[in-house]
Amino acid sequence: MSDHTKSPGPHRSRHLTRRDVLKTAAAGTATLAAPGLLIGNAHAAGQFMDLGSFQGAGIDWRMAEGEQITIAVIPAGYFNNLETVLPDFVSLTGVEARLEMIPPGQIRQKAVLDLSSKTGTYASHAADPMYYQLYAANGWIDPLDDYLGSDKLTDSAWFDYEDIQPGHRGATSVDGRPYGIPFDGEATIQIYRKDVYDAKGLSPAETLDDYRANAEAVHDPDNRLWGCALRGFRGAGQNMYIYPSIFRAYGGEWFDGERVTVDTPEALGALEYYVTLLNSYAPAGVENWNWPDIADAFSQGTVGSYIDAHGSAAVVANPEKSKVVGNIGFARWPKGPSGKRVTSIWNWSFPINGALSEKQKQATWLFAQWAGSKEVQVATTYAFPGAYKRTGANRASLWQDQQFLDLMSGFGHNYVQAATESFANDTDPDWRPRLPQWPAVGDTMATAIQAALVGQARPAAALKDAQEKIDKILKG
Amino acid sequence: MRREDGAHQGERRFALMLTAPGMLALLLTTTFPLAYLVWSSFQTINLAMPFMDGFAGVQNYVEMWHDSRYWHAMGLTGIYTFSSVALQVVIGMGLALLVMQIPAGQWIFRIVAILPIVLAPVVVGLFWRTLMLAPNFGMVDFLVQWLGFEQINWLGAPTPALISVIAIHTWQWTPFAFLVFLASLASLPGDVYEAARIDRANALQRFWHITLPLLRPAIIIVIIMRVMISLSAFAAIFAATGGGPGTASEILNLYAFKTSFVELNFGYGSALAVSLLIITMAVSGVLFYLRTPRRREAGA
Repeated sequence: MSDHTKSPGPHRSRHLTRRDVLKTAAAGTATLAAPGLLIGNAHAAGQFMDLGSFQGAGIDWRMAEGEQITIAVIPAGYFNNLETVLPDFVSLTGVEARLEMIPPGQIRQKAVLDLSSKTGTYASHAADPMYYQLYAANGWIDPLDDYLGSDKLTDSAWFDYEDIQPGHRGATSVDGRPYGIPFDGEATIQIYRKDVYDAKGLSPAETLDDYRANAEAVHDPDNRLWGCALRGFRGAGQNMYIYPSIFRAYGGEWFDGERVTVDTPEALGALEYYVTLLNSYAPAGVENWNWPDIADAFSQGTVGSYIDAHGSAAVVANPEKSKVVGNIGFARWPKGPSGKRVTSIWNWSFPINGALSEKQKQATWLFAQWAGSKEVQVATTYAFPGAYKRTGANRASLWQDQQFLDLMSGFGHNYVQAATESFANDTDPDWRPRLPQWPAVGDTMATAIQAALVGQARPAAALKDAQEKIDKILKG
Repeated sequence: MRREDGAHQGERRFALMLTAPGMLALLLTTTFPLAYLVWSSFQTINLAMPFMDGFAGVQNYVEMWHDSRYWHAMGLTGIYTFSSVALQVVIGMGLALLVMQIPAGQWIFRIVAILPIVLAPVVVGLFWRTLMLAPNFGMVDFLVQWLGFEQINWLGAPTPALISVIAIHTWQWTPFAFLVFLASLASLPGDVYEAARIDRANALQRFWHITLPLLRPAIIIVIIMRVMISLSAFAAIFAATGGGPGTASEILNLYAFKTSFVELNFGYGSALAVSLLIITMAVSGVLFYLRTPRRREAGA
């Protein structure tokens, strides 16, 4: 603590623990140390949002007053925004909620260890939708239909669960039962250099073949411009985030009855496409790139196009960091041989830890409901008082809200249209194989994809190997 | 006699009482988790398939025997350990001999040598991954191209990735060997060398017949410590390549970690860890045996 005492006066809030801050918030100084956030005048509690609209919901927001809950999230802009407005939740409910930031590489393991040991450390956490099957199979989290259906706990007209993006609702449900409330989600879209494409007379790719042809046309490594880039790093959330879209666009099916199939001709076609594309037109090192690396390279003007989450537009269109602002165009995923365009249905959602006491479960439900509500979605997107505004709004109604669309259209050409149409048409619940063994299956596939990309194995051999391993995994 | 025995026994009991808390803590923190690990290795514990859990007997070990990825990892562990330790000893020795020739300012080298050792391995891994080995931006890549060679994708191609993680480990830990050898060299008796010089032994003979035998204890200690650490290396590789690309730098420890904590198959992961434990103990046992000078040699 000694180094804290040396800090100069103006940054007083930095000395405080989060709990201190929350207490102070009740007294009217919500000064969470979010850098770059300008809070001009001291906000009184509940001033990010009009508490009245919450009171309008026909539930007793103070039913779990005095409970303390911790929610694990990842350090990312969208959760920083949530943390900033969290004092409103505290003053609305009297529940002492705090967010704990855990890096994305560890949050799944921490959550699994907490859930499996039933310690109840995290009342909820930002959950990977692919983990719901695992959680549900073990009974670690509560199904939410009881919560959504209870008049005491939910005002269904006010909360309007059906308004949440259908793809995200599907991704957080198991066998039709909801298990998590989506907070932030994304669609994957094509992002390209409009100036470069225009100069060459190219238009954004309609098909995967077009995409390869476009990459070839702009590829000019001698002048530090590479054709394209896709996630290459090994991981269930990295290369196994982008490959499934190609796999499905090639007409691949993850399941043949009970069996998971990854070595079909469609799978091989998809993997060969991915490997050839990246080895021919992507910068060296792409096999170790995740989306931030790709977005950085695109911002520096060295990549002609990439396909990734629509939220990465906030990075490449940031004038402080990007050299290509004003020259960015957007389009939907290209179609594959099957005629399908397949976006990810990735989202971060909040489940309820089954190891909690009844009162804590109520407090956690209030939190999940609050975070997923229209009001909080608005307050953390276009109405957010800081510089960074979330783009992953979870609700269909928000994607029709003019103020939200005005914010989105600032990112570049055709952005709103590409994202909206992707959400509406390109989502696919079978984007990735949903089963409890996903962590092992996803990692096995990720390893095979990367091995094929770097030439450690040929695509066919890599998939055959993965198939054998997956057969063994599922047999137990 | 009897009274003395009694006093002795009382003393022993007192000593036991004094050490009991420490022993208990040791038991709880080291022996118990180890026993639990061994127990787990005979179970099926798979969080993804809880309905399959139960006693598995030696099934995990049988599976391991037929697991090609296990043998691949085992082979890499061998290559990784042997080459990084050999490099550390040879380079460390060379540097120590060189620095011994410098009459003043040896302390500067000692301080410089400590720097890599005190860095956290994760930091070392990330530092090499981003600053040194990244294609187009890394210093090594820059140097290689400046010297007119083809660009090498150090962490992105299977063989260079393995070479890179060996080089990273060697870079971080050679200073340890260097410091130990430097200290040992400084304490060697000067009169032996003087006698050798009078007998007209040349530099190579002096090194081979005097320095090396006298340094033997130091060399073996360095080898033992480095082998044990290399076999269980983790953090730097995890940060630099994550075992990749593909499985090109996935040594046994990383495979065990991934099996347990990514795939959530704790039973099999424990079996992998136990096999690493057995190998580490066996190798260290052999080395410790070699360390004890045989009587005849000691007498000679």
